[in-house]
Amino acid sequence: MTTPAPASGAGDMSTFNILHGFTEALVRGMRSSFMRDSDYHHMTQCETLDDFRLNMTETDYSESVADVQTLTPSGLQEAALEKLVTEFKYLRMQAVEPLGRFLDFVTYEYMIENIMLLLKGTLSGRDINELIAQCHPLGLFKESTMRSIPTFEPGPRGYDDLYQTVLVDTPVGPYFAQFLQDSAMHGGSRNVLEEVEIEIIKSSLIKYWIEDFAAFCEKLGGDTATVMGDLLKARADTNAINITLNSFGTPLNEPGMRFSDRKRLYPAVGHLYPAGTSMLVDVGDEDELGRVLELFPQYSSIWGVHAAGGSEKSIDDAFYERDVHQLELAFEGQMHFGVFYAYVKLKEQEIRNLVWITECILQGQKDEINKFVPVFSQHAPWRKVGGRR
Amino acid sequence: MADSTCTSEFCNAGWAEILTHMSPYGYANFGIAFGLGLSVVGAAWGIWLTGASLVGAAVKAPRIRSKNLISVIFCEATAIYGVIMAIILANKVKKPDEATYFLDEDWDFPGFYYAGYGMFSAGLSVGLTNIASGVSVGIAGSSCAIADAQDPSLFVKILIVEIFASALGIFGIIVGIIQSNSCTFPIAPLE
Repeated sequence: MTTPAPASGAGDMSTFNILHGFTEALVRGMRSSFMRDSDYHHMTQCETLDDFRLNMTETDYSESVADVQTLTPSGLQEAALEKLVTEFKYLRMQAVEPLGRFLDFVTYEYMIENIMLLLKGTLSGRDINELIAQCHPLGLFKESTMRSIPTFEPGPRGYDDLYQTVLVDTPVGPYFAQFLQDSAMHGGSRNVLEEVEIEIIKSSLIKYWIEDFAAFCEKLGGDTATVMGDLLKARADTNAINITLNSFGTPLNEPGMRFSDRKRLYPAVGHLYPAGTSMLVDVGDEDELGRVLELFPQYSSIWGVHAAGGSEKSIDDAFYERDVHQLELAFEGQMHFGVFYAYVKLKEQEIRNLVWITECILQGQKDEINKFVPVFSQHAPWRKVGGRR
Repeated sequence: MADSTCTSEFCNAGWAEILTHMSPYGYANFGIAFGLGLSVVGAAWGIWLTGASLVGAAVKAPRIRSKNLISVIFCEATAIYGVIMAIILANKVKKPDEATYFLDEDWDFPGFYYAGYGMFSAGLSVGLTNIASGVSVGIAGSSCAIADAQDPSLFVKILIVEIFASALGIFGIIVGIIQSNSCTFPIAPLE
């Protein structure tokens, strides 16, 4: 809708490699850098973070931790993210259209996060340098643009000003423009930067991003459209369910607000769209949400995890598990772009796992340490094929 | 319809007349060109497909470099089939001993036309099968390189797929040789 269609498709089996063979083979080579079951096993046995660091030197992260003197969870996250960013930038530099634009789409999500971080930080009056240091490295845009966000004054024209002066230059500017258009259409002057507003803006921007990305993949056609279509649908549904779940107990859940505001946050993509999301609009509490989700087989089991409660698993864990399953499947077929998106997301999951393990080691909580979802694990529940392996 | 047909003696009576009046030398040489050209297109396409993946996968796993050149060699083989066929056919094209404006009445016309058509179709047989063979070896070779980078035991198994794919080119050259075997251009009128 906002982005022009790709000039050509990704190519089918006999023509894909001509333009994208090198980059695809690169990312498939990077698949071997994921931690194996044995690596995770050694790491969970570590008593101190120095042992952990020693184990890391035997994996693909050896260079990342080589410079770090004392390992902390946040330091580890930074180093691992740095490695992912280096690999991603390498891929981006080698990519030709339309793969280049596809990879750009993957980064827009992080750009939206960064913009929201900067806006929120401005609200609390934090230092701009500190904020920029906290930005997600995959979503950086021009330094000058980033620095001018906090200088914007929340005047009567509010966000319109912000858009015209600052955000119009960024690639996610069109999403912001769309958000302003929609909110102007539905009345309501959003002049004041409020905490709640920031979350709604972020959800709206992510919604527009998902829809745009899905439309782009659809136009690429072929296997890319099939694989990415599924992945983005799952993403959109996760967002819709989380928005609904998190709105309980906030003003967004009031019957008046539900139709006008909350409905506008649900992406127009996904298995839940359109029947499910229109049902979700009327949901007022968890029981009703459960009843709606029972109708969709793929979400009833995830909801069951949440409904069972307890400290074993949260709904986020269930979503992560489902995501990892689907993303691993993206690696099954060749000659499509889904592997690039899947690689970034799975690497993120791995970084989450590593940070979780180091946190548990640091705090000495050994019984919680196994609550992570390993990537490409031989022991994954979906890999247990009738016994023999 | 009757108005648009040309009545002069210089006009042809349709495709049938054009095709049957083309010189057998023309047919034979086009066969050589198709055979060679299409084979090389197939081989080049295949090398393009597999070479890109090979270079990319070797970044993270350099050990696959030498072994996976076999895929490139298989693609090259299809081009070699084309060259072999082209050389065989080119050696069969002979010009008459005596330069005459019209061919004699007792020229071996059956053999003449047989040779022309035979060589044309032999060239097409080899060329078209080699395009298919080259592309399929290329795609299989690309998967082979990527799989080998992850798990070395997969290399030989996927190589078997490639061997079957390159067999398609062999079918082409076998049939082509049979087709062009008894094709000889007459060089002198029959006694």
